Amino acid sequence: MEDIMNFNTYSQLRQFGILGMNRRNAEYIMRFNPRPSFPLVDDKLMTKRLAESYQIPTPTLYHVIEYHGDIAGLHEMLNDHQDFVIKPARGAGGSGILLITNHQELRFFKPNSEVMSWTDLTYHIFDILSGVYSLEGLEDRALIETFIHPDPVFASVTYYGVPDIRIIVYRGVPVMGMIRLPTKASDGKANLHRGAIGVGVDMREGVTTTAVHHSIVITHHPDTGHPLSDIPVPYWEKMLYIAARTFDMTGLGYLGTDIVIDRERGPLLLELNARPGLQIQIANRTGLLSRLELIDKAPLDIFTTPEMRVEWALKTFAPSSST
Amino acid sequence: MHAPTLPPTQLFGGFLKMKHPAVLLAAVLLLLSSALICYRIIWLKYPILPAAPEKVWQLSIDALIRGDEKETTVMMGVPYTHRRQNVAEERIRSGRLSFNILREGINQVGIWSGTLGREAETIGYRATIQVQPQRPFQTKPPGLPPYPANIGESEQRLAKRLVKKWDTLPPAERLQKIVAAVIGIWGTPPPIDQDLRSWSGFRERHSQLEAFLLLLRTADLPARVVEGLQLVESVTTKTLVWIEVWVGQEWDSLQPETGEIYQKSVPLLPLTIGGLPAVRIINGELSEVRWTLNRQITNQWQMHFERIMRSNRWLDRWSLFRLPEVFQGTFRILILVPIGALMICILRNMVGFPTFGIFMPVLMALAFRNTGLLYGLGIFASVVLLGYGARHWINKLRLLLVPRLSVILTLVIIFFTVFALIGNKVGLRELMAVGLLPFVILTMTIERFFIIIEEAGVREGLRTAAGSAAVAAITHKILHFEPLQLTFFVYPELLFAVAAVQVLLGRYTGYRLSEFIRFRKLWRTS
Repeated sequence: MEDIMNFNTYSQLRQFGILGMNRRNAEYIMRFNPRPSFPLVDDKLMTKRLAESYQIPTPTLYHVIEYHGDIAGLHEMLNDHQDFVIKPARGAGGSGILLITNHQELRFFKPNSEVMSWTDLTYHIFDILSGVYSLEGLEDRALIETFIHPDPVFASVTYYGVPDIRIIVYRGVPVMGMIRLPTKASDGKANLHRGAIGVGVDMREGVTTTAVHHSIVITHHPDTGHPLSDIPVPYWEKMLYIAARTFDMTGLGYLGTDIVIDRERGPLLLELNARPGLQIQIANRTGLLSRLELIDKAPLDIFTTPEMRVEWALKTFAPSSST
Repeated sequence: MHAPTLPPTQLFGGFLKMKHPAVLLAAVLLLLSSALICYRIIWLKYPILPAAPEKVWQLSIDALIRGDEKETTVMMGVPYTHRRQNVAEERIRSGRLSFNILREGINQVGIWSGTLGREAETIGYRATIQVQPQRPFQTKPPGLPPYPANIGESEQRLAKRLVKKWDTLPPAERLQKIVAAVIGIWGTPPPIDQDLRSWSGFRERHSQLEAFLLLLRTADLPARVVEGLQLVESVTTKTLVWIEVWVGQEWDSLQPETGEIYQKSVPLLPLTIGGLPAVRIINGELSEVRWTLNRQITNQWQMHFERIMRSNRWLDRWSLFRLPEVFQGTFRILILVPIGALMICILRNMVGFPTFGIFMPVLMALAFRNTGLLYGLGIFASVVLLGYGARHWINKLRLLLVPRLSVILTLVIIFFTVFALIGNKVGLRELMAVGLLPFVILTMTIERFFIIIEEAGVREGLRTAAGSAAVAAITHKILHFEPLQLTFFVYPELLFAVAAVQVLLGRYTGYRLSEFIRFRKLWRTS
């Protein structure tokens, strides 16, 4: 608590270029994210279709349940796929996502080996439809998608579930990246507030650096015990390029791009977030604000294409460049 | 479906920065608020701090009069509203006489008149007086009064010789010299023996009061005789007479018998000024005149109510005091709700406090109005806990969202009913007042509490609950702080100022207190 009493704390936060919640909301989200574009990212189905029109790969969609009657189509789908993911189209912060690794005679296995009955499964889908997990309690749709088999690169530091890569994009320029690793506590989900680990990534090298778990800085995965730093991230530049393209796709100036790396298909755009969290700063031990300000200072004409923006970011954002 | 194609300028320029318009709006709101307040204070003579602890007295004047065949007139000096006092709730008892209030010089005189015959009649005057002794009565120096009529020219010359040596002294010191002289201490050098002898002669023919008036007049110190009362709890049949002397900035009150100057801490209530008797009667006999002073713990509301109801000024006619009393009670509370909202702005955006919903704590605080804080929090906590248990169990039933919320709502109402019945049995009014708690808010709180515990853990759930309860308790205290209620009720334009602060907070882009803790590991470990 003595930090609160410290008058230097405020200037220290500024000096580190930390972006606070209020400034993020007022100066970046409200200023650069036009409200009419929000549905493009709040609804995962819309994001997916938009991404397809931009030739950005996304996880394969098996089925969409919009009305209770659509459940019937689920049976058909089950014949073709052993594992799948059910998620609400408008869910926030990973809520309502159900992973099924296998099923047998209408018994469904979750990654933690829990078993769900058919009734359990349909109850979950009905909950999604009635808007339990949706952002404003609005009626929602349930998406059934392919179960991602992640690239083995993070296997040693993933308890189970799918790690994903969060990249903050400001005015089309990738600013900062973080790998989100699920833990036992996060129930296979990659959301930091659920207990996933955030690992910073060196922008230029594409190699993991420092990590944060439950707001505590760590060096090893708490479940697997393997070191978290110095893992080279595959497809790094390609993912930065996808991230940069999401700006052209949505017109949102301040965006969080979530990407997963599939074993066979490579990077897939999972979802976009118009209000990305600030924890990425702790994972990278670098403030966002100083990087955002660098972008604001740069001449406009160097940002005309996604390629130019990625190139500029790789050149400019070394982890130590901001401090 | 394809991407919105925006021109490059819009892509990179973003939206217009709204910083200056917000500050401008806040400034306009503040200006509007202070302009209206200044108008009320300067032109409508509102008290600056309507809630400052003030001295409020009840004055009663009662008299028994006997008339004769002719028309009887009784004149009494009565207090009136000026800078230093505020008179309200005046009540007159006049019996068969007619009553009128007239201005006489700087005095206000109540006049009872009529033909009484041989019978006696009781008349009375009653008023509530709010005294603000710290305010100067007047700031303009008064003119010098003429010499009293019964003072001859030779006596004036004598007085001139006596006070001449003090002419150069400042007024306060001149007054002290005169006080000492009247008591008999002339200082050095003493006046010549002949003058002293003449002065003794004068003193034998005149009262000490007149001696004071003569010397003060000669020394160019404006003075006047005042008849009134000392402001202490008392019943008296005799008024007090004192001399007020202008000493440059204000009047000093001088006790004419002892030559003592009253301390400022001894408040006096003048009834008549300038030698007018406090009570006079023409054609009749006055017996048993009684002045009664009672200290009153009054109701500030009443004082304001009285003065505003009697005023015809535009803003007074549009005052909240003009509402029917039933609705005034609601507005006393309602007008403070924006402060509660402001509190929440501060706690959430500057401190980073977690609460259920945005305004739920304010609604909770409003509900505690009927139950009191402790019972309110207790009832709230037990309903949420019982509801949480029920929600946990309902989860197994797999009810859809809307019917599920309806079930919880019904449960909440059932809990209320049970509480009320128990309250009735054991005689606890607070438990019966639960019916006015915001049940919809409680229902949503139960659902949110359940979801937070499911998703973020018991710790986070309890933290949010504690945050909400703390904010509700603080808001409750603010809403029921009577001086604040009164201030806002008298000056509703303060709401513009509250809005101004809210607008400014809306542009606060600095760090939250909680972020100091959140990001501290950044320099702890690096």
